[in-house]
Amino acid sequence: MSGIQGMGKTVMRVAKNSVKGYSDTQVKIRDATSNDPWGPSGTQMAEIAQMTYNQTDFVEIIEMLDKRLNDKGKNWRHVFKSLTVLDYILHAGSDNVVQYFRENIYIVKTLKEFQYVDETGKDQGANVRQKAKDITSLLLDEKRMRSQRASRKDMRDRMAGQKSER
Amino acid sequence: NPTRPVDKEKAEAELNNAIKKATNPDETAPKQKHVRKAIVYTWDYRSSASIWAALRVQPILSDEVQTFKGLITVHKILQEGHPITLKEAQHQTSWLETCARTVGGDATRGYGSLIRAYVKLILAKLKFHRHHTAFNGLFEYEEYVALRGIDDPNEGFETIMDLMNLQDDIDAFQKLIFAHFRGSANNECRISALVPQVKESYGIYRFIISMLRAMYRRTESMDALEPLKDRYDHQHFSLRKFYYECSNLKYLTGLINVPKLPQDPPSLIDSGDTPDLP
Repeated sequence: MSGIQGMGKTVMRVAKNSVKGYSDTQVKIRDATSNDPWGPSGTQMAEIAQMTYNQTDFVEIIEMLDKRLNDKGKNWRHVFKSLTVLDYILHAGSDNVVQYFRENIYIVKTLKEFQYVDETGKDQGANVRQKAKDITSLLLDEKRMRSQRASRKDMRDRMAGQKSER
Repeated sequence: NPTRPVDKEKAEAELNNAIKKATNPDETAPKQKHVRKAIVYTWDYRSSASIWAALRVQPILSDEVQTFKGLITVHKILQEGHPITLKEAQHQTSWLETCARTVGGDATRGYGSLIRAYVKLILAKLKFHRHHTAFNGLFEYEEYVALRGIDDPNEGFETIMDLMNLQDDIDAFQKLIFAHFRGSANNECRISALVPQVKESYGIYRFIISMLRAMYRRTESMDALEPLKDRYDHQHFSLRKFYYECSNLKYLTGLINVPKLPQDPPSLIDSGDTPDLP
């Protein structure tokens, strides 16, 4: 994709954010799950995960992710990146994230047959299907979820500890 | 009430549109995005009534391709929709029978016998779920903490027999679909009907294995289970062949992972792991 085109899209997104009156939280999600062919970055996802601990932010995050997860084939990147963000916040976000997506697992589960073949004939749906499958089985496996969340937290605590020791 | 951010009025309009598009006259697969919309609707609103109403409004019965796509759509919604869908579908058997009656002979594009066989299969499925309400539409083993019926060997035996009967019905139907492939034409619409068959048969297969293993652990007389074991072996080989044939259909393998079964049926005596999900 050319730089100009990419920039044009970014400008569009910024304009849309202000026209639609999206909150800062929603803008963060929209940026992390945009149609840009890169990202979401680790920093973006860590920030979003942190925000899920705040109830108001949590609701806004869920609303925007829900919208993105149900986007159409042409916007497969929205869907794919939303799953990437979801995977991250299931590991590092608040328990509410886990609870919400267990309750609404069908949103993710029904993406296991997501289809999109782009203009060049490339099957872009495959990425979405695989990720949907991985997240579904994680959501169904309570034990694995708990241990993965615990080890993630352990790692975060240790890194925080190292920082303060310095 | 749904915990998702939803708007009922908008959802109804979108649902109608989705059903219309999923069952349009194009000889293709019912598009998954439309089927998905209907599935998600049943979870959001714990109801499938609007789906059946929408199906009746569409001129589905006047066109064999539309009827067939309607049945694929119904099957997928029964499999993945909210459990209430299976319950509510019990009142829709006459509509399904009408589908089978309306199409004459083999029709012009060869869907006649496929439609009649599909209706028969869906009715058999509904009958199974009427008697065994603990199973979900795809027989997903992961979603059950405990297996019912195993404490009572008689009930367990019956359930396994019923599961095996349904497995045989699926096997007969998939064979009919393969027999109706047309050499030159693109068979996408017919192949898309194999997708729910692969998923359902694999769910049943996994359930049968874990239920039989539990029965073998409990039972005193292995002989009593011998008839089930014979049938299990036989179904393993049929299913293996079915999946092998599916794995050669590029359109299908692009949509789902077709399971690859081992050469021999997994042992029922050792307590090995249940085969992985595809």
